[in-house]
Amino acid sequence: MKRTVPLLITFIVGAVLILAEFVPHEPFGNFGEDFSLYFDIIAVFAFLLGGGNLIRVHVTKVQRKKKDWPFSIVTLVGFLGMLAAGLLKIGNPDGIQGDVAKLGSLFNDLYMFIFTPLQASMFALLAFFVGSASYRAFRAKNLDATILLVAAFVILLGRTPFGLWLTSGLEGSLSFLQIPNLANWIMGVPNLAGQRAIMIGIALGVISMSLRLILGVERTYLGQDNE
Amino acid sequence: MHFDLGVWIGAFLTLGIISFLYKDNPWYKICEAIFVGISAGYWIASLFWQNLVSKLYDNLAPAIVALFHGQIQYNLLYLVAGILGIMMLLRLIPQIGWISRWPLALVVGATAGLQFINYLVSNGVKQIYNTIVPVFGPVSDAGGIPPVATTGEGIGNVIILIGTFTGLVYFFFSKEHKGLFGGAAKVGTWFLMITFGASFGYTVMSRMSLLIGRIDFLVNDWIRGTFG
Amino acid sequence: MELLRSRIIIGITLLSMVLMFGSALAQDADKRDVLDSTAVRVGTFKKPVNLPIPAQLDVVEDSEGDAGSSITVSWLPSPDDGAGKNNVIEYQILRSESQDGEYVIVGSASRGMTQFQDATTTDGVTYFYYVRTISKDGGANSQISAGIQSSPQWFNTKDLDTFIIGLIICAAVIYFIYHAQKGKKFFLRQIAGLEAVDEAIGRATEMGRSILFIPGINDMDDVQTVAGITILGRVAKTIAEYDTKINMPVSRSIVMTTARETIKQAYVAAGRPDAYSDDMVHYLTDEQFGYVAAVDGIMVREKPATCFYLGAFFAESLIMAETGNSIGAIQIAGTAMPAQLPFFVAACDYTLIGEELFAASAYLSGEPKQLGSLKGQDVGKIIAMIVILGLCGLYTVASISDSVSLLDFADKIKGLFSAS
Repeated sequence: MKRTVPLLITFIVGAVLILAEFVPHEPFGNFGEDFSLYFDIIAVFAFLLGGGNLIRVHVTKVQRKKKDWPFSIVTLVGFLGMLAAGLLKIGNPDGIQGDVAKLGSLFNDLYMFIFTPLQASMFALLAFFVGSASYRAFRAKNLDATILLVAAFVILLGRTPFGLWLTSGLEGSLSFLQIPNLANWIMGVPNLAGQRAIMIGIALGVISMSLRLILGVERTYLGQDNE
Repeated sequence: MHFDLGVWIGAFLTLGIISFLYKDNPWYKICEAIFVGISAGYWIASLFWQNLVSKLYDNLAPAIVALFHGQIQYNLLYLVAGILGIMMLLRLIPQIGWISRWPLALVVGATAGLQFINYLVSNGVKQIYNTIVPVFGPVSDAGGIPPVATTGEGIGNVIILIGTFTGLVYFFFSKEHKGLFGGAAKVGTWFLMITFGASFGYTVMSRMSLLIGRIDFLVNDWIRGTFG
Repeated sequence: MELLRSRIIIGITLLSMVLMFGSALAQDADKRDVLDSTAVRVGTFKKPVNLPIPAQLDVVEDSEGDAGSSITVSWLPSPDDGAGKNNVIEYQILRSESQDGEYVIVGSASRGMTQFQDATTTDGVTYFYYVRTISKDGGANSQISAGIQSSPQWFNTKDLDTFIIGLIICAAVIYFIYHAQKGKKFFLRQIAGLEAVDEAIGRATEMGRSILFIPGINDMDDVQTVAGITILGRVAKTIAEYDTKINMPVSRSIVMTTARETIKQAYVAAGRPDAYSDDMVHYLTDEQFGYVAAVDGIMVREKPATCFYLGAFFAESLIMAETGNSIGAIQIAGTAMPAQLPFFVAACDYTLIGEELFAASAYLSGEPKQLGSLKGQDVGKIIAMIVILGLCGLYTVASISDSVSLLDFADKIKGLFSAS
């Protein structure tokens, strides 16, 4: 019972949804959209588990005075504060009926002055990490890494005025070798070929994985030991 | 001197995050703790109003009222979503926690079914369609046959064909990469490396622009805005 | 005498021409009067009204392959469409529920178009249509159509080719899944990242440090996340046997629930149910960068010896991979997001590229049925290669030999893959 019913559910739901893609007649035609809605709703219920876990982990840290426990207080205050501001729509000009992110509400203020700078700063860190990744990639030790490096270099230069200046001397029939032209060609030809091969492979991988899940060949997600 | 609390908080948080590049420190730990707490609260509150209230309650409540009047509306099916959500929560009760596998099984089955078609069409069929082109041909449209345009395009088509073909050869699972097959797989690897290099180079500049945005905030909004 | 007669004839002719020309000028100036006037002016020369030649209805039918409430109206373009002075401006589509009833405009199409979809019909109600061709001089109507009703269809015939292609690939995969069950062994090439899993777990065990497992940042409605969780199931069994610590911070609550089930059962299967703890999997935040900020913090403080990144990732992938690099961890990544693969390839020790992520669980399980499905995937690749090479060859031959019929044939087969 505990094992068979979930597998049966997976099979029926999966098979029906695949076939429903080809059946426009109501209600089958709407199944895809309906599932997205149902999933969003289930995910909100699951928030009780996730949010509850977050609180429990940090409260335990504070109670047991584990390493860095003062920062857990900060997390809890931030979490509960933002939650209250949003669920109760504190300071919302339109009251409880208004849009939760209405300009002027506490929720929106916290979002604009705290959430946004933090998000933008983490995103900005990428510039540094891309630099360090590139630096390591420069020490290309084999042919594959060298090809990757050269392609990256040409595309990178091709998107800057420096690249245009560097090879501006090449005219006429050699203009093909001007870096911006070379960059466009690389994007449009070999890059496109590789992308297509990867995408076709992914499509087949997803099809195979989906069939394994639907047919119950793959069961680890249910926490079952395979026989 | 003009003091704007919002800007100063933004600067504090920005510098705290960037300080991670030097090493882990209490400043970063505070910013990280604030970020985790605030962002978790943000998403839960937003999606509560957006999904639970707007989608579940607003659709289900009228349908339940109609049920009491003897009408069965399509939106009554949202009851299923609500029940599945509650089943998920039953995980908290150890004795009947196994029921939470049912909504999980539904989610996985539905994901498998929907993504099967999505990927088949967008990643499979459409990509195959776009790869099918005449490789050689006339360069004018005399005779009613569409031209292959220029020799350069023709060579480009050949290279795309070789690249796609050898790339697929590389991904073969059931044949060893030896001999001619191995040679083709090797060529496929080179094409994949070019693809990765191109993506890498393409994104570098856009990542730089994100940093420039933050520096602009710090220099113009914070320092210049405060000290004039 | 002859000269006088000829001069009189020429004079009368010239006078008539002047009169005609003059009245025509006057007619142009009073054009509106002429068109609106119901009185006939004796002796005036009327300029003809220059309405466009109306488009003729072609086919009016229930729209194909839909859930109803739609009728498609097609027409042959007016000869004035695209032609000089009296060019068509647009076509208006009018509809009524009875042939002689009042017709209302339900939509319009610009010149050059020959089809309109009326998506406002009620199933079961009979409608009549005609098309009015509009130019700057006015409108001209087509004939009225026969009565037509819209209805929903049970099968979308436009998707028939996709259905068949999907069926063929499914058949191949299912055939090999069950064929493998009969004991036939297939060869499988080695994938470096998967060969390294045991070694990576062993390293963490020896060093007494933990393993970090990141299942991506999407929810269970993404098949990549499901793939990551299935791999977790395999990896967790080895971790349970070696008694290594695992730390799995997640970004989604449903993923947390699933992962806990998966790891718990792995510990039960390894005979060590008491060693399992729910704290192995913990929720951080749904926010992409908040999540990675916290994961980075875990990495630099706990210093895991091995990091797995298996699932769907976005821009944060590089931040995690680079931080993992800086602490000297072994990193095994896998994703089907083409935009993030380069960063994993550059920063991680091993990367599972696209399809390899979905194959990983089958590989690690070693089960015949699972491995059989991989052979089915290969068949799909062979089909793709044959179709691409075959049709490219056909098009090339058609182009070189100037054969229109061959080109049409190639177009037809290529059309099967258009997935419209």
